[in-house]
Amino acid sequence: MTFRTKLFVMFVIALLLSVGVVAVGVTVVTRQAFQESNRQHSEALVAQFEREFERHKQDIVHRVQGIADAEATVRMAIDLSRPKSDVSVYVNDARGVSQSHQLDFLDFAGDDGSIISSNEWPARFGYKIDWLTPPQDWASLGAFLMKVDAQDGPALGLMAVSVVRVGDKNLYVLGGERLDKDFLASLVLPSGMRALLYMDLDPNFQAANLVDQSGPVLQADRFASFIEQERRQPATRTFTISWTPDASSVESFHALPLLGRQGELLGALLIGNSQREVVLLERRILLLAVGVAAMGLLFGLILSWWGAARVTRPVQKLAEGAREVSAGNWAARVNVRGRNEIGQLALAFNRMTEQLSEQRERLVQAERVAAWRELARRLAHELKNPLFPLQTTVENLQRAKEQSPEQFDEVFRESTGILLSEIENLKKIIGRFSDFAKMPQPELGPVNLNETVRGVVKLFESQFSAVGRPPITPELHLDEQPPTIQADEALVRRAIENLVLNAMDAMPSGGVLMLRTTHQNGDVDLEVSDTGTGLTPEECDRLFTPYYTTKQHGTGLGLAIVQSVVSDHGGRIWVESEAGVGTSFHIHLPVKPSVRAAPAPAEAAVAEGA
Amino acid sequence: MKHRLSVLLVAISAGLAAAGSAEPAERPRYGGTLRVEIGAVVNSIDPSTPAATPQEAAAKEEICSLLYERRNSDGTFAGVAGSGAFRIAEWEPGKHLMLEANPDYRGGRAFVDSVEIEMGRSSRERLLDLEVGKTDFAEIPPEEVRRATEVGVRVSTSRPDELVAIVFTAGRPLAEDAHAREALARSIDRAAIVNFILQKEGEAAGGLLPQWSSGTAFLFPATVDAAAAKNLWAQIAGSPKIFLGYDANDPLEQSIAERIAVNARDAGMEVAAAPKQGTATNYDAVLVRFRLSSPDPAVALARLAAAFAPLAGMNVDPLAEAAPPQRVYDYERALVTGYRIVPLIWLPRVYGLGARLRNWDTPAPGAAWPFADVWLGDTQ
Repeated sequence: MTFRTKLFVMFVIALLLSVGVVAVGVTVVTRQAFQESNRQHSEALVAQFEREFERHKQDIVHRVQGIADAEATVRMAIDLSRPKSDVSVYVNDARGVSQSHQLDFLDFAGDDGSIISSNEWPARFGYKIDWLTPPQDWASLGAFLMKVDAQDGPALGLMAVSVVRVGDKNLYVLGGERLDKDFLASLVLPSGMRALLYMDLDPNFQAANLVDQSGPVLQADRFASFIEQERRQPATRTFTISWTPDASSVESFHALPLLGRQGELLGALLIGNSQREVVLLERRILLLAVGVAAMGLLFGLILSWWGAARVTRPVQKLAEGAREVSAGNWAARVNVRGRNEIGQLALAFNRMTEQLSEQRERLVQAERVAAWRELARRLAHELKNPLFPLQTTVENLQRAKEQSPEQFDEVFRESTGILLSEIENLKKIIGRFSDFAKMPQPELGPVNLNETVRGVVKLFESQFSAVGRPPITPELHLDEQPPTIQADEALVRRAIENLVLNAMDAMPSGGVLMLRTTHQNGDVDLEVSDTGTGLTPEECDRLFTPYYTTKQHGTGLGLAIVQSVVSDHGGRIWVESEAGVGTSFHIHLPVKPSVRAAPAPAEAAVAEGA
Repeated sequence: MKHRLSVLLVAISAGLAAAGSAEPAERPRYGGTLRVEIGAVVNSIDPSTPAATPQEAAAKEEICSLLYERRNSDGTFAGVAGSGAFRIAEWEPGKHLMLEANPDYRGGRAFVDSVEIEMGRSSRERLLDLEVGKTDFAEIPPEEVRRATEVGVRVSTSRPDELVAIVFTAGRPLAEDAHAREALARSIDRAAIVNFILQKEGEAAGGLLPQWSSGTAFLFPATVDAAAAKNLWAQIAGSPKIFLGYDANDPLEQSIAERIAVNARDAGMEVAAAPKQGTATNYDAVLVRFRLSSPDPAVALARLAAAFAPLAGMNVDPLAEAAPPQRVYDYERALVTGYRIVPLIWLPRVYGLGARLRNWDTPAPGAAWPFADVWLGDTQ
């Protein structure tokens, strides 16, 4: 995954998290706000109902009092206070009076509580209402809830009692309104809210006793548990009912117990508040939030992509610059503008490559000077050896000429022989240097490395067991199916010969020379190991430097030639050595090398030495 | 002997009543239109066409009595319409009927030129129209008598001649239970019905004939016995409910039925009073009205038995018209024993009379409106 992709993913994740947190926050806050609003709404409605209920109570008290104060009622009371009064005269009065005062329930009861006239159950005349006659301050009691025995069955009524007293006889006026769907319809409710009335008229929950303003409530059984709870312990409580799996069908209810004079539960008023509007509003808000979030996300994605590209472009340039530098292009520069960290990094990179380039230049120059010095030292050393005999021989000739002319001819003959021999040495030395300088360009052809290794070992077989020197045991561990590589067989053979010679020089006391070939991923590896005294790390570091040698009479060109050959084949050479154990040279050669252009002879030595 | 004596007593009392109510001397006057309002809606005045409701049947009977001169032995009308004191002048079924005096009537031309009958008038409308003088004659429910007299309407009340009773319908399980029938019969406070619902215009009925007709009504007790009713009802398994049907168009029947339900509830019974729909056999018991068609107790009882015994599932022998009083008593006793027919109250017929109506004579049981004999005087 690229840095840009990572950066983009991070931006996207951060964006998603931000949008998610905002969306969740908005949802939670919105829901809480709605719930709070809902609660306040319900409470306001409950308060409104309580006020309305109180107003109804007052109204009923006034109406019943108005009936009691009416002249006809007073006359009735006066008439009934007389001995042997005829109560049957008034048996139908309640109906007309209740209609004129818009009361659902109205009973006139005599001093003993016997019903004289009843609107809700006209046929009940003569029967007693026992609870009316005990002394009671009806005026201060006001209106109260009670279960009324009506002709069509028990009903819930909001009742008031007024007493007309004439002499020592009372005429009771008991009137009120029926609490039913019409009563609920008289309540003014906001949209989405409804009022339900449960009339606790039976020993157990009865679905038919639960009504709203249009009649019996559908699915009334869903309320059974809440009603039963209210019946067990009357209290104001809230609950919710989900009518369908859809959240918008949830309806919250505020239950108010309706208690009678003795504190007995007579019913419950349920203020229902549909959550539909709230849920739909929440959904709309959520949808809007999702829409905005999606747009923000899209915009954020584009912005993130652009930002990531903007941030990573200089980094990419830096990476490309670094790759160029690693590929050897020390002149690579990064074109990044800006004063930010990336810009400063680019400036630092450019400055670094500039300094590295300068340092490399200086190093090359220093290496070049060192190489020339080494070359000069080696040349001086190589040339000094034959020059000294030459000088001695020439001086011997001069001395023989001056001091022993008779022996001059003999000396001359011997001296010229020596001179010629030393001159030959000089030519050889010059020739070796010349050969190194003139390393030929490889001519590639199919080469079986195993065959080459075997040829070299065969060439040196006689020397491994030469008389007068400790024997060297060659061990071959050759790959059974080595791939044929494209190489210059002569140059490869020469390199192997140099390594074998080097190993033989490292084992003056004899030992084991091991040659191993392996192949991996199409490339071949050659290992040449000896069991000599080994090399120090410093020696290992400088081993392939031209003209560097640890031997007394070495030219220091053998390993340099090996490295040159390997390098010309696109391969790699390295050495592993352990003091007292031995040294291993590893050569890695590609099957098909990309042959490097041969440098100019003068520069070749310098380049390899570097 | 007793029958003849009672007929004589009726005649004497009618004469005395007429003498007692006589206005200051006023000569009979011919002419004018007698305005009549009735509550029933009469859709046909053909005697052979059955009436839809008892109210229509009763009104139709009265109208036909004005149109037909004679009756057959079974009480049906004989001859042709218009042979009576009046003949049809205008006829708008269900709404309005105008009769004109028949000059060829054998009993002599009626004093009034015509009789205009408006139908479907409620008791309240009838009473108001009587009060303001918009009508000359209207039937008034007994329970409205007190109010009528309070507003100054002249009222003519007949002897109680209409029985309101409960008939248990044969075949219904509860109707076949003697304990249930007796329990309901004993739970009913007839006196309260008379005093409160009828405003004392009527009599509690223990027997099927009124005292003035049979002279033996006192032998049939009509007192309430809630304790006995409760005991009887306790012997019935389960918690049955007695379905009591009443005429939906009869407010009096409704009031009585509702009061019966209250009384029964007091005795631990459950009675569901409901307007009759369909046949009477849909109910355990039904409220019925029976107007005596004759002052003769044997005739009246025979017709009553013929009307209700089949519904009650009672197999009784016909009662001869000339049956002696003992036979009538035994017959009546047989009908009420077993409580298949439970007499409740006797109602009088009550007529509201307009201020200009003269020479009104309250008709005897079975007799029709005597419109041929009345005339219209000045309102002053």
